[in-house]
Formats: sequence, C-alpha cells, structure tokens
Amino acid sequence: MAFLDVQTALGRLVRAPDGLDPLRALQLDESERASLKRIAQSAGYRFTVGVQRSWCVGRAARAGYLTLSTFPAAVRSALLDEWVNSGGGTSSFFAAEGDALLDFIANRLPDPSHELTLCRLEQATQRANDGAIDFRAPDPALIDHPRYLLRRGRRAGIVKFYGEPHHIMTALLESQPLPPVSRQPELTMLFGPGLDGLCRAASQSELDLWERLTATVDSRSLMEEGHRPEDIAALFITGVVEHAA
Amino acid sequence: MPIVVHGVELSIGSAHGWNQAYLEMLDSFQSLWPFVWHSEHLGFQTIPDENGTTLEVGVPLPVPPTREAADLIADRSAEICGRYGVPFLLENPAYYIADVPSDPEIGDDIGLICAIMKRSGCFMLLDLHNVYCNALNHGINPFATIDRLPLDRVLEIHIAGGASRDGFWMDGHNGSVPEPVWEMLEYTLPRTPNVAGVVFEMLDEFAVRFGSDAISRELLRSNEIWNRCRAS
Repeated sequence: MAFLDVQTALGRLVRAPDGLDPLRALQLDESERASLKRIAQSAGYRFTVGVQRSWCVGRAARAGYLTLSTFPAAVRSALLDEWVNSGGGTSSFFAAEGDALLDFIANRLPDPSHELTLCRLEQATQRANDGAIDFRAPDPALIDHPRYLLRRGRRAGIVKFYGEPHHIMTALLESQPLPPVSRQPELTMLFGPGLDGLCRAASQSELDLWERLTATVDSRSLMEEGHRPEDIAALFITGVVEHAA
Repeated sequence: MPIVVHGVELSIGSAHGWNQAYLEMLDSFQSLWPFVWHSEHLGFQTIPDENGTTLEVGVPLPVPPTREAADLIADRSAEICGRYGVPFLLENPAYYIADVPSDPEIGDDIGLICAIMKRSGCFMLLDLHNVYCNALNHGINPFATIDRLPLDRVLEIHIAGGASRDGFWMDGHNGSVPEPVWEMLEYTLPRTPNVAGVVFEMLDEFAVRFGSDAISRELLRSNEIWNRCRAS
C-alpha cells in the first residue's frame, strides 16, 4: 500500500477544501481510491471535518483573543472563517499561530486605528513573552563585533497608541465605543524579551533607532549617523536589537 | 515531585517525517525538568504539500494500519527511547473515520499497536475513554479490544468524559467518566501488572464549570478502584 500517498489523501480530505482534487498526483491503486472515496462520503469523515474546523477556529480565537474582542461578533466570525478557510488555525504551537493570525488581521485594519494598535500590542506581547522564556542578555561588548550586523529583534516590537491607552483599554473592557484616533501617537511602547515587564515607553531616540533598523546595519554606521551608543547598548542587551544571523 | 510528559504534537505516524521542533522543545524541557516517562498519541497530523513542505492537518488522524507504518513508528519509538533514556508510551487514539486502507497482516488500529509494541520496546498509555469512543462509534466490544492489547506494556491509564454530537460519542474531556469506562477500568487494572498510574483527563476550559467537588469525586472513585484492584 502507498502509505505516504494514502496519508496525504486523508490529510487533504480533512484540511480546509482548496477546490482541488484531493487525490491529485498520488500513487494510489484502484482499491485505495475506492476506499478513500467511500471515506469521503462517510458520516465519520464529515464528523472529523467538523472537529477539525472547530479546533482550528478555537485555536485562532485563543491566539488572537484581545484583538478579536475589539470587533463585533459578525466581524470576528467572518475574520476567523477567512483565516481558517485559508488554512489557518491548524498549528497547536501557540506562538506561531498567534503571530501569523495577528499579521493576517493587521493587514485588514486601517492605519492608524485603535484596533491596529491593539493587534500590534497583542502580537508584541506574545513575541516578547515567548522570547523571554530562554532569553539571555548578550554581552554588550559584542555590539560592535566585526562579524555581525544589527537588526530589529525578532522577539521585539514597537506599538504606537493614537490615544490615551487607559481610555482605550477602559472603553474595550466596558464594551464602550473606542475614543477618537489622534493625529499623532500619544505614546510609543517598546517591547523586548529582556525588558522588565517586557515593555516600557520608548524615547524618541530609541524610536529613531528602531525606524532605522528596517535593514541590517553595523553599529559603527549607526553611531556615525548620530544614534546614541547608550541607546544601542540598552536595546541590544534587552533583545530589542540583535545580531543578524 | 516526579513529572511525566504527555504530548500531542509529535505526529509520530507521519510518513514524510515527524515534528522535529517538538522534539527540540522536549529536549529543552527535559534539561530543565527531567521526567520519569513521556507519552504521545498514535496518529498523524502533518502531510507534505506538493513541494514537500509540511502542512498541518489541524486534527490528529488515524494511521493506516500497515506493516510500513508499524515499522516506521516502531523505529521512531526506539529512537525516542534512546534519545531521552526514559520509557516512551504510545496512546491508543479515538478515531471517527473508519476503514482506512490497511494491510491484511496488520488489520486494524489494535493490530498496529501490537505490531509496534512487539518491534520497538516502547510502552503503552491505554486511554480507556478512547476505547469506549471507538466501541460506541464503530460497534466494537471494548472488552474484546482490551483483551487484544499487550497489557503487560501498559504503564499509564487515562479515563475521561465525553459528549454525544452528530451521532458520535466524542472524546471531549469535558465531564464525568461514563459508567462503562469505570467498568473497563475495573476490568483492566488487574490485567496490567506494570501500570503505574491512572489519569483523569479534563480540558481546562471545562474544569471551572465542572467544579472542584465533581473533579474530586472522579479522583476519589478512581483511587478507590485502584486500591481495590491493585490489592487483589
């Protein structure tokens, strides 16, 4: 029996339908094809598809709980459907599922908006929290190591609030309308796995440094451009900035 | 306090490869908290896409009971035993899809477990609620199923509750242990000479609603059966 091909067919049958023949390009004999077609018409198969669907929706709902709670039920449901239909919700690794889902939602939100801020806040918290599990502060003497360039930390982030954060959170908790969106950020928060409490307010010079790091760069160039060595060091030892691999 | 680990993500039965990231996570876990044994579900939940990249199915599926599958899983189980230096247990799954293509010499899910145990030297986590689900959903005698299993390889037993949905009894971990499962526990314990513990499974999302008193009742009843059956 074609073990790999039978498994692949079963998995394709149960995953979100992609409109393609699930038995395409598989080496299956006639009896295996007949068996799989019987399975696809069985009550047990339909039940399994229902379980898979509900698990995927449940995983996604837990992974993006804060962000999803900012939407009316119909919008939330439509987002989850779209995500699961695209193959999302299948990973039980919470960090991976959450990060991908929140990117998916962020791409559908106006910028700026409180919803986008909360989405990025949830994502930055998850990333920093996940990174904190095995984070070890690097030796600051390695910042200008000639072998390495610097980049934004993969477990770090910046979140801009276009309103007073307390007012936004209170409105959310009390199911009240969110306050108006300000024209400029009222607070910019820095997230990193080595920060106390995983986050703090970012200074303007730290924000400038973060914005500069859209591409990898060496520390000497950063200082020649006027970025402060103490900012580079502070962000490096907290994982907000890291060596590029 | 001794720790045992119960995993759901290894996908030990995936023909194209198991979940290496899960094993790396388990390596880290063992270095921090050494465990007495660990267990995994006998199933597969990843497949390759057309480029060979791993796709997650989103739910564990029954492994086709074939000689190739038995040999593959037995060899992986033996590798895991060597990697961690502690017993490795495979759990019999609940499944809702019946009659997946099989080899006649292996036959069914129980034949697959027996073939794996015979070749690998690994142990078994016997989930009695899964046996009960399969018995109800597919018209099988659960006691005959238990009799077919290599009971001397059982180190851990699971009991749980479930729910009826769309004509199936679902392994939901969401309530009281059904009476037939208690009977199965009484039947099994005297026949499993190496069993070291019984676990009552409940998902955290149901635990608050079920309540601590109800959970205590399940644990006390389990303990009473354990003491009675293991003493005899």
